[in-house]
Amino acid sequence: MAEEKKKHKKRRTATEAAASIGPMVKEFISGTLRAKEEGRKVAFTFIVCLYDEILRAMDILPVWTENFAGICGAKRDAERFLERSESLGLSRSLCTYALCGIGFDQWREELGEMPPDAPWGGQVRPDMMLSSGQILCDPRNKWYQASQLYMPDVPVYNIDLPYPLYEDDVEFTDVRDYYVKHIIEELRGLVAFLEKQTGTKMDYDRLSETVDLGERTWNLIWETYDLRRAVPTPMGTGDAMNTMVPMCFMMGTQEAYDFFLGLNKELKEKVARKEGVVEDEKYRLLWGGGLPSWFALSDFNYFNSKGAVFPAETTYRMIESMYQIYMPDTNDPIERLAWRWFGYWVFWHNKARKRPGSHPDVEWLIQYIEDYKIDGIVMHEAFSCRTWHLGLIWQLNQLAKIYKPIPVLVLGKDGKKEKTNRELPSLVLESDIIDITTYSEVDTRNRIDAFIETLESVAKSKVH
Amino acid sequence: MAGCVIGIDIGSASSKGVVFCDQKILGSYVIPSGGNYKLTADKVREELLSRTGLSLRDIVYTVATGYSAKAVTFADDLRTDISCHSKGAFYCFPSARTVVDVGDLHSKVFRIDDKGGQLKFLLSGKCAGGSARVLKVIARVLQLKVEELGALSLKSRKRVDFNTGCAVFAESEAVGRIAEGVAKEDLLAGIHRALAAQLYSLAERVGIKEDFALVGGGARDAGLIKAMEEITNLDIFVPAEPHLTAALGAAIIAEEISNA
Repeated sequence: MAEEKKKHKKRRTATEAAASIGPMVKEFISGTLRAKEEGRKVAFTFIVCLYDEILRAMDILPVWTENFAGICGAKRDAERFLERSESLGLSRSLCTYALCGIGFDQWREELGEMPPDAPWGGQVRPDMMLSSGQILCDPRNKWYQASQLYMPDVPVYNIDLPYPLYEDDVEFTDVRDYYVKHIIEELRGLVAFLEKQTGTKMDYDRLSETVDLGERTWNLIWETYDLRRAVPTPMGTGDAMNTMVPMCFMMGTQEAYDFFLGLNKELKEKVARKEGVVEDEKYRLLWGGGLPSWFALSDFNYFNSKGAVFPAETTYRMIESMYQIYMPDTNDPIERLAWRWFGYWVFWHNKARKRPGSHPDVEWLIQYIEDYKIDGIVMHEAFSCRTWHLGLIWQLNQLAKIYKPIPVLVLGKDGKKEKTNRELPSLVLESDIIDITTYSEVDTRNRIDAFIETLESVAKSKVH
Repeated sequence: MAGCVIGIDIGSASSKGVVFCDQKILGSYVIPSGGNYKLTADKVREELLSRTGLSLRDIVYTVATGYSAKAVTFADDLRTDISCHSKGAFYCFPSARTVVDVGDLHSKVFRIDDKGGQLKFLLSGKCAGGSARVLKVIARVLQLKVEELGALSLKSRKRVDFNTGCAVFAESEAVGRIAEGVAKEDLLAGIHRALAAQLYSLAERVGIKEDFALVGGGARDAGLIKAMEEITNLDIFVPAEPHLTAALGAAIIAEEISNA
């Protein structure tokens, strides 16, 4: 294993901004270790749980437990923590982020210090754990409860963050206010809990500034990622799996805003120079869902070596332009957060309702296919992430039913060319987010090769 | 005739070669892949030429496929086995729209359109469950040759239901059933049913459309074909030599390229 780790090379990135992410992540993990030594409060947290700005405004340092598990995976050093969780009686078929985190925490608690060679110094012991009943992902509710078995003195606070499920014949205007009222109450409950834990009252002026910074960052990210529409595209999904770090783990900080200012400038310069991810861009692909295999991000470079680039992805595109999200006239930062949450989740609902047979997830694909001039879709089914990955194939099948096919010319039986239609080519990769035992590089690349052959065949016969 | 072409499929268990001239199969050859794929590839070409009476000068193009296609150093081009299987299956059955390849390492499902264009594909997972490997495992447990499994399975009167599609668990379960005194044919019918169920599930994920063809080495097993017919409630189309489908597809691609 140690030898395997040593051999694993750092992935090439297309942008300087993406290349700067490694040290940034390392620093914020070191930062949590330093903060703990200095007596500052640290909290275990999940991404996309709406509390980023609240924590920043209260000087509570978030410890993104999914991020730490992802780092273990990317460093190909998750197996020992997964095995430890299995030895505690947890099944390998559960979320491997959770298994990795629980295995690490249990080991740290047992030793009374970090496990040997802990990746980037290890995951700090938290002062509190903030879970979420968000129905997107069930481990968000259960993970910290399990961790509490090994840290019984660390309190867990659970907030309920519902998002409206899609029904094509239901208008949300009837129920919208109930949702938002509930989310506001949940957030106020969280603030009360944090005030109790820190002994400090929330400074609402500061929270307003932080929320404002968060909203400006959303707009900046939206504008920056939109630059990837350019042909050739200046940045691919491989890099976006790095640039998701300031988006998902640093929202509400000046550092995140400044990072995207830098990326925006870099992409504009690349677009002006017509500098793409690859020299000869042949195929533009959409990463249409699924978390990546963190230990195999070099597969994106493999796609690139075949002339295929990913100008867009639905994974970790956790923002929309604030100009497109309904926001009532309110200066209350908690209310603004709640409306932003609701608006983000229902953003695609209205679009889906206009296309018979569509669905918000399918509509999202269609919009990106058109905006980014997409030639094919790639998805990843990670076996241990049920919530994210369930339904990906359904989305592809539904897309084939409702979206316009590609007209192509093929040789008929009489040797003459005939016009027919092809679905947008798609590829489903199968592995896991961090469990490397599920991955085969040979198989994966064989699938990619076959997919490229399909794209090539469609491109050659396409009627323009 | 402009010349003949060769398609070579270096698979994980066996290597196959097809000589193709004017859209017709002139000869074929199959050999265990062994441990030296380059030597195996050389041997396949040598035998193909010997059996067809052709010389190297008669071969205008060679396409290699399979997991060790790169070992075919004399190939003019490489193609994935996924593309080659689709091509080969469409050649055998132009009405086929869903094709399942039962390979030793993986099983694969393809959807092809009415022009032979590949629409979608899916592979079974990394483990041996869902591949023909499970048949080898059970043959070893029952001390039978793989070729004997199909005929024996067809004699079953009381199929045993297996609780798993996993090759390792299936082996354990089979050992347990033998100890219970279950007849070999009933046990085999159960294994065939379990494998067919996995293949059916994989096919359903790409959306089954008739006609349904079964190719690859596993498709030589009559017990599996019967189980597939039962579970899909469809007629299953199987080429006379299903294990040659990828090599045939490679040869067809070679001819298309040489004629272009």
